Amino acid sequence: MRSTYRVLAFVIAMGVAIQAASVALAFFTILDEVDGGGVFTADYDYESNLGIMIHRVGGLGLVPLSALALLIVAFFTRVPGAVKWAAAVFGLVVLQIALVFAAFANASVGALHGMNALAVLLTAIWAGRRITHVSEQDERARDVAAA
Amino acid sequence: MSGRGTLRRPSRVVALGIAASLALTVPVGVLWARSLLPDTYSVMEMGYPDWGGGPGGSGHQAHVLGEDTPGSPAATSVTELTGPAGRPDVAVTLVARQEPVTLVGGRTVAGYTINHTSPGPLLRIGQGDLLEVTLVNESVADGTTLHWHGVDLPNAEDGVAGVTQDAVPVGGRHVYRFVAEDPGTYWYHSHQVSHAQVRGGLFGLLVVDPPGRRDDGDVVAAVHTYDGQRTVGGAPGESRALAEPGATVRLRVVNTDNAPLDVTVGTSFRVLAVDARDVVGPEDVEGRAVRLAGGGRADLGFVVPADGSAVRIQLGQDGLTSLVVGPDDGAAPEVGRVEGLLDLLSYGSPAPLGFDPEAADRRFDYSIGRRPGFIDGIPGLYWSINGQLFPDVPMFMVAEGDVVRMTLENHSGEVHPMHLHGHHAVVLSRNGEPASGSPWWVDTLDVASGDSYEIAFVADNPGIWMDHCHNLPHAAEGLVAHLAYVGVSTPYRIGGPAGNEPE
Repeated sequence: MRSTYRVLAFVIAMGVAIQAASVALAFFTILDEVDGGGVFTADYDYESNLGIMIHRVGGLGLVPLSALALLIVAFFTRVPGAVKWAAAVFGLVVLQIALVFAAFANASVGALHGMNALAVLLTAIWAGRRITHVSEQDERARDVAAA
Repeated sequence: MSGRGTLRRPSRVVALGIAASLALTVPVGVLWARSLLPDTYSVMEMGYPDWGGGPGGSGHQAHVLGEDTPGSPAATSVTELTGPAGRPDVAVTLVARQEPVTLVGGRTVAGYTINHTSPGPLLRIGQGDLLEVTLVNESVADGTTLHWHGVDLPNAEDGVAGVTQDAVPVGGRHVYRFVAEDPGTYWYHSHQVSHAQVRGGLFGLLVVDPPGRRDDGDVVAAVHTYDGQRTVGGAPGESRALAEPGATVRLRVVNTDNAPLDVTVGTSFRVLAVDARDVVGPEDVEGRAVRLAGGGRADLGFVVPADGSAVRIQLGQDGLTSLVVGPDDGAAPEVGRVEGLLDLLSYGSPAPLGFDPEAADRRFDYSIGRRPGFIDGIPGLYWSINGQLFPDVPMFMVAEGDVVRMTLENHSGEVHPMHLHGHHAVVLSRNGEPASGSPWWVDTLDVASGDSYEIAFVADNPGIWMDHCHNLPHAAEGLVAHLAYVGVSTPYRIGGPAGNEPE
């Protein structure tokens, strides 16, 4: 369970990196198309833009599902603080999706979506590194007690 | 579950973990499972009936929709609601193909054609003519149909796959027959997998002339974006239409796109008609753009200058696409800055509506939001109607002759061009401000985010009618409801052997 927890935490961190890469890919794809005389309106075919499609799947699939799985797995690791940090990751992911809606109403909120992504990334890395560290400490403590 | 200490006591943490897992996954799982759609279903079984405060709302949901319930007239099938028999005044065969579209100038994009062109042929008929169109599907793999956008015709001719007919498979044909009762500018387009087929070019224009007026200085302009390239009649950039100096022009602009289209005219003009309904007492407009909803139309009247110059009509805010109307070599200056949009709420002169919206028999709310959820098991950010996602949407129930009021409200963050089939509705107010100009009749109304419109119409055309967003990808994302007349049912189904998929 601890290794599952660790893997999930790093999957989330990787997911955030993929999200950052895809949004840049999407933006530069649009710039390229507009330079070629294309128009960017509601008629834009989002499905033709790989960056947007990756961002959609990542943001509504990979990252939230991994965060949910992390939170569930956390309960079975029996490592103090594992649930707390998984809940933090999950909460930040929920906030991240909520910020998408807020940004539809007010585009400037979109900046917070970008900043909160860093919070998800750092929290996920912290949770993943921490469980490795805490587990090792735990093992050592038990070995000492057994000796 | 590693480590020696863990085996000794089944801790409360594990119990808590199981409880938390269930608490987190069960609701999500239930939402997911509930969103799954059967392979085939009738729109009559979809969602819940909304009686709008009128008779019929006894609380029973299961059998009311179009069934032969006590007290309601015997069920009529939409298949019986056809256009008249007899010799057509105009008969046309339209052949739909899935093939590359060649834009004016030579660029080729993947798409669809009608009689090897996109836009398809312009159909021009007189008021009162019986039109007979034979649709032949030569190679559209998903099947296709033709919907007559804005024409208030008999329900069986409406061309909606899975509601008024089965999609026409490759090798199949379907005949549409109807009398063009109201003059004006219309268009026809596929209503099978429409978000892809219309975008790809499966559409054309229909103009109905009033008696005694034909081609008198008319210019038609179908604006369509093919693969990111906005065009007028399939021509990117600047197009020209010939008109003599001093000529009076009626420009019929049709927005066949999903996005709103701002039309700016480089001279003083009048809005003669909106969505095929004449504006009463149109005044001269200068320095304002006309915004057309996706699917909407406007007829604009102006005079070509006598000095030999031409008039530029800019289509879209970016200035990349324009139509120049005037003599062959007439210079057309760039369109100047506009101060804003023309507000049709106060344009023209008031006139009687022909019915009393205050004496409404039904009052409906059509409130559009957006939220995360599942549709058919796929997670996404979806449009909601009255708080719920497709297919848990209202079926607006009316009886023939009812006066219907509907409040269209949008708090979804994006504009929605709302299109009611088979009827024209009049705008009563926007955000509480009453309409003060000409009666503003619409079949397609742009409802911007944050806006609330009250509209009214007379339920005078029995059938099952789609009432949906004409940003067609939005419809495919669940922004679809229906208006149904008590006692009318449809034998057609979404999905099924015909693979009906109207959005």
